[in-house]
Amino acid sequence: MNKFWFLIKNWFIAMGSTPSFYKWATTFLPWLGILAFLTFSLGLVWGIGFAPSDYKQGDVYRILFIHVPSAILGQSIYLMMAVFGFISLVWRAKIAGMLLISAAPLGAGFTLVALVTGSIWGKPTWGTWWVWDARLTSTLILFFLYAAIIALHSSLDNKTKADRAVSILSVLGIAIVPIIKKSVDWWQTLHQPSTFSLTSSPSMTADMYQPLLMCVVGFYLVFIFMLTNSLRAEIISREKGRNWAQKQFFRREK
Amino acid sequence: MKGHNTFNWFKLILTRDLTIAFRRSSSYLTPLIFFLIVITFFPLALGPQESLISSLAPGVIWISALLSSLLAVEGIFSEDDRDGTLDQYFLSNEPPFLLVFSKVLCHWLICGAPILLASILGSFMLFLPNGVLVPLLMSLFLGTFFMSLLGALGAALSLGKSAILSTIIVLPFSIPTLLMGTSIMTLAINEQDYSGYLQIMGAMLAVGVPGLCILTVEAILLRYE
Repeated sequence: MNKFWFLIKNWFIAMGSTPSFYKWATTFLPWLGILAFLTFSLGLVWGIGFAPSDYKQGDVYRILFIHVPSAILGQSIYLMMAVFGFISLVWRAKIAGMLLISAAPLGAGFTLVALVTGSIWGKPTWGTWWVWDARLTSTLILFFLYAAIIALHSSLDNKTKADRAVSILSVLGIAIVPIIKKSVDWWQTLHQPSTFSLTSSPSMTADMYQPLLMCVVGFYLVFIFMLTNSLRAEIISREKGRNWAQKQFFRREK
Repeated sequence: MKGHNTFNWFKLILTRDLTIAFRRSSSYLTPLIFFLIVITFFPLALGPQESLISSLAPGVIWISALLSSLLAVEGIFSEDDRDGTLDQYFLSNEPPFLLVFSKVLCHWLICGAPILLASILGSFMLFLPNGVLVPLLMSLFLGTFFMSLLGALGAALSLGKSAILSTIIVLPFSIPTLLMGTSIMTLAINEQDYSGYLQIMGAMLAVGVPGLCILTVEAILLRYE
């Protein structure tokens, strides 16, 4: 058991160094890609093609299989970024900052997908593209938070410092996001009673729930695949002048 | 220096910044005039009906206050940064936390406090009922101080960059302040109990003073790595 923990710890420390992460990623990325693609497409085909249609909404509800996983990812990526921001601030781990900024465009993308699909779903079911519902509003604010992080990072020239600056912002974000969420809830209940609630949908049957779960897992795997890929690109673009990268690409033996 | 201690140092920085600000009247007049102009624009755009304007008044006052307190935000550190004073502060053996707090306090005194005074005028311009003045001032005090803290962090993160960047960074984080501030106003107009929101805003300020000052110090220290 001790040996097992030792191996895990060693692997974790090794992943903190950019060359060994790069080598590890190069080996495992194709397998990760295949696994992600299979799960993702299986979940979507199952959900869109074979799951039973809703008794009330008909086939319109099938957008749920894209909407719900992207909304879940949009929120959990922000949480993940805050964790990496904390790690990069406290332990000054270089790779944590790189992970943070590689994840930011992906998180913004998933949040945007959730907003757009929700809007497309809202038109036939609610009769309008947008309502100022608490959940919709806080998702929109989440998108603005991602945009702020990306804007700050791209405005600073020194990328290592930009990582740290963005870490500060994401740590502040995780402190204030619960307050935003709560205050948006209060705001909405103050002005009008909740008309549409996504949470209190009738409990799903297993026929719908299983493909949804598959989709969520598939989206997560696709995210991990994309994150590894863009982290690899980030590492190479920053460390292309260093010895190990030169060796990797040009086989220039000293 | 006679009687040198940390509190004297804090007082010295604050007096220096306030003196600079009062010698240059644009620093405290600009946010004030901006606030009044924005408040004037709403009735011009929406029409002069009293009922419409007074129903929109809480939101109008709060949005104007947030925008005008963010107006002067990039000046908090940029001038000291340009002439090297900031470097000297950080080289001295004094706590940088206090430096940031004195900067925030100074920014609130030259920007938030005039807005507070102007909001009394604004409440008459927008036909707010008289009894609402006390909750308006209390919530604006807590809100603009929190905005000064947030603005200092935004200014420190985007030091030397465009002013609009710090605004974009800070605005999403100001949403709770905006929502609670307008809720306090709406509750006060309907003569309901608004103390809960006021307490939450106070709690945010109480956590924000140490928390945001520490983050701002971290952000400035990034320059010296």
